[in-house]
Amino acid sequence: MTPALQLEALTKHYDDGTVALENFDLTVPAGAFFGLLGPNGAGKTTLISAVCNLIRISSGDVRVFGEPADSTIARGWVGLAEQDINLDRFLTVEETLVYHGGYFGMTKVDAERRAGEMIDAFDLRAKANVRTPKLSGGMRRRLLLARALMHRPRLVILDEPTAGVDFELRHELWRYIRQLHSEGTTILLTTHYLEEAEELCEEIALIKGGRLIARDSAHGLREHYGADSLADVYVKAMGV
Amino acid sequence: MTGMLWLCKREVLRVYKVWTQAVFAPVVSSLLFIVVFGLSLGGRIRMIEGFHYREFIVPGLVAMAMMQAAYSNNSASIFQARSDRYINDVLSAPMRPWQMNLGVNMGGWARALAIGVLLLAAAIPITGAPIHHPFFLILTVAFGILLFGALGIVVGIYAETFDHHTFVNNIVILPLAFLGGVFYSVSRLGSPWHELSHVNPVFYLVNAMRYGLLGVSDANQWLCLGVTAGLAVPVYLWSQYLFSSGRKLKA
Repeated sequence: MTPALQLEALTKHYDDGTVALENFDLTVPAGAFFGLLGPNGAGKTTLISAVCNLIRISSGDVRVFGEPADSTIARGWVGLAEQDINLDRFLTVEETLVYHGGYFGMTKVDAERRAGEMIDAFDLRAKANVRTPKLSGGMRRRLLLARALMHRPRLVILDEPTAGVDFELRHELWRYIRQLHSEGTTILLTTHYLEEAEELCEEIALIKGGRLIARDSAHGLREHYGADSLADVYVKAMGV
Repeated sequence: MTGMLWLCKREVLRVYKVWTQAVFAPVVSSLLFIVVFGLSLGGRIRMIEGFHYREFIVPGLVAMAMMQAAYSNNSASIFQARSDRYINDVLSAPMRPWQMNLGVNMGGWARALAIGVLLLAAAIPITGAPIHHPFFLILTVAFGILLFGALGIVVGIYAETFDHHTFVNNIVILPLAFLGGVFYSVSRLGSPWHELSHVNPVFYLVNAMRYGLLGVSDANQWLCLGVTAGLAVPVYLWSQYLFSSGRKLKA
């Protein structure tokens, strides 16, 4: 079966000389719930940006369901919720979703119908006609996630989707993401909440300094490192 | 193509949402120029190239308003999208670079055209200015907004702060417009100012507009159109290069 994501010898050197990723190999199976853990600056966001065509990679190969990540077909299969809130300040909640759907090739009718579904699913109905700068932090986070899922992507990339989110909303988002995964969508999650990764992810990769340190299920990692919890694994693997 | 059309629509929607400052304000300020300089003071100025002063300044004012609108709209739009990082929503979408470039250019073109049409609709009855060569005028407008819209994209992509965007408008475009013969005929200037004016690219745009509307120009009309087109194409290709290469848009 073609993997959802395949990175081969991915290298990214930024203009200031920073080496974010060096000969990085990773394969994420289709349908997986995959976690990517590592400290700030480990290269997680760079990896995600490479998959989503948001950086110019130095070398290597990135494929999404077998297609080059920079091809238009592959881009249409990926949905991204970035770590930072990056919503179009001129658009309302509904417009944000409809226009995103349009950018990803949806027709007006389909985009409006799907936007309605997303608005209901993420409890944004009361704010549907409100412009994004006027939303609360929690509402913006919901909208960011709804936008990522708007065009029904096969691979959903969530870069710290619950950062700064209160406990209730976090559990609500988990529930929705789980449901999405159960329907066959591949999920790539980065998070600093280790319990979140342990509870949600079938497989976890630990990365540090642009290199892959370990990769296994949470159970496998605990056994490998002789640790009681994923937090202990993290401490040992990262040398914290 | 669907993605590009939605991007075009988004850029036009942005103009529509801020129409009072994006369209209404430039039309009013240009009309004030016509009223103050053309109608109030114009009576003290003798005919220029066979036209009353109030008629003579209309083409230059329309050109100046349109090019400033095309530039500042696109520059601000792309800068805001980069600054707030919602440009990522476009860059990650299944659109080709030429579609992205065309899509983001559309806002400036729409805004400039709206201003041009409204300004002419108001200025022609007030001043009595004619439209002598409508086809030539359309070509001039097309290349003019292509040039300044693309320049806005380039500056908006390179700009590190919002000041960079306003700097180019206030220190480069506006002075060149004023010195390009918006309010006077360059043929009346003595040497070396007469020759120096021909180095100013805006001089050619203003005179191409003047030929399209009034049928007169300080230089050959085809030279004026050719210079405007000759600048518009490479500047548009420059903005295209930035989208194709990802330079300054992607780390």
